[in-house]
Amino acid sequence: MSTTRENVLIRLQKIDRRWIYLVLWLVVMIPLLFPFKIQPQPSPTVEKLFNYIDTMPENKALAISVDFTPDTRAELQPMVVALMRHAFAQKRRVGLLAISVYGLGLAEEAIQQVTAEFNTNARTHEDSVIYGEDYVFWGWTTPVLTVMLGMGERITNVFPVDYYGNRTESLPIMRYIKNYDDIGILVTIAASAIPRSWINYAQVQFGVNLSCGITAVSAADFYPYVNSGQFIGMLAGMKGAAEYEQLVAQRMKKNGMDWALRNRGTEAMSSQTAAHLAIMAFIVIGNIAYFATRRKRK
Amino acid sequence: MQRRIPLLIVLITGIFGAVAFFVPYPAIRSADEIMRNDVQRIIAAFSLVLGVGSIVQHHLIKIQRKAQFWQYSYITLIALVITAIIGLFGGIDIARPGVLPTRLGNFSFHIQTIYSNMMVPLAATMFSLLAFFMSSAAYRAFRARNLEATLLLLAAFIMMLGAVPLGRLIHRELPAFAEWILAVPNTASKRGILFGVELGIFATSLKIILGIERGWLGGGGK
Repeated sequence: MSTTRENVLIRLQKIDRRWIYLVLWLVVMIPLLFPFKIQPQPSPTVEKLFNYIDTMPENKALAISVDFTPDTRAELQPMVVALMRHAFAQKRRVGLLAISVYGLGLAEEAIQQVTAEFNTNARTHEDSVIYGEDYVFWGWTTPVLTVMLGMGERITNVFPVDYYGNRTESLPIMRYIKNYDDIGILVTIAASAIPRSWINYAQVQFGVNLSCGITAVSAADFYPYVNSGQFIGMLAGMKGAAEYEQLVAQRMKKNGMDWALRNRGTEAMSSQTAAHLAIMAFIVIGNIAYFATRRKRK
Repeated sequence: MQRRIPLLIVLITGIFGAVAFFVPYPAIRSADEIMRNDVQRIIAAFSLVLGVGSIVQHHLIKIQRKAQFWQYSYITLIALVITAIIGLFGGIDIARPGVLPTRLGNFSFHIQTIYSNMMVPLAATMFSLLAFFMSSAAYRAFRARNLEATLLLLAAFIMMLGAVPLGRLIHRELPAFAEWILAVPNTASKRGILFGVELGIFATSLKIILGIERGWLGGGGK
């Protein structure tokens, strides 16, 4: 090995970590500013959840439990938005709740965004979404066990008032959503072990259909429940969100709602792809430098 | 007595909680409902008081003793008080104002505004730092030193490519293969781990309910 090449490999081994940080920052930022188009193809777990909600009986509602915190918002918030769009496009009632206090603000953000999209583009009164009739935000209450078990008996007992301070009994939608029997599927969006608690308490005791949207790193933890059928499909990470967004966009187009809405998950896929490739390149370069210098030392 | 009463409460409520889960008898069910909907909520309300009291006390002591970074304790306490006041009396957003005026001209500082513009970016920033540490660690420490490490590295490569749409462009079956790794070998090992964890939780819960494990009482279980 020539001395120059050897020096380069040694320097590569001892490279200042700030250079790595800079490269990663550029790799994440450039595709965000100048995105390249990537069309995600739906995976079987995403398709399964989509098809279930798509063909859910009309009298059944979609419940979304916003169980994540702001740190994972980029990855998980697109799932909440896409699920709400899907339910509204299919004229299904939606109920939202939060198991963690942090989820309240995130759920409220998603509600404001999606209801504005539908109400701005609505051509008739029936196309618009109305609070208390088409959707409800139950809010948050504690402890977890009270919510998960109590919702199986009577939701208005668990949430006597909604997030906005209205008596839930007075909301017309609550005539149709009394307990888990009226919920077609409950999707928990989380970055923790909360989906497991939903299985342990809500599903085991009351048989409610469940699914989950989780961060990519925790996907491995929930595959056993998808395989056993306890979760009807799953949205894993930003890729899962992007795939669901694409399916929802196709459904909305078919339903005459071609509104060219922004899909945050799909938009971020170019940045995530670039970041993954960069990390792989780091590993390869690190290994080449390591093995080349080790051989020389021997 | 000081120890016996808490142990007795845990014994009774622990056994009742477990029994109520399996017995559909109406009287048990209604008692369970009261325990969950009323008693647990009252306890949770007390824990909130304890939590706020604890954080205030901790930071006041820090300020008093001028401990390291004591100045930041002022920020915590001020933020706690202001956010609590706005959250309690300031309404949710512009559309749903509260009794407290939370708008100065075009500038609003409702709880949702504070949450979306302060809490979310701060939390996202902290979490984003992980990506930088991960990439640095991947460069410096992720070495194919032996067979196990090489297998781990290969699996990581497949998973990373499978987790982005580019994987399909490299090979049509790559995402399906990544999915198979998660669904079969991963699930098999996870199930084993989960069985172990659940049995451990069951054993520890029994030990606490029966008063064998007393660490939660304080004093190192003596």
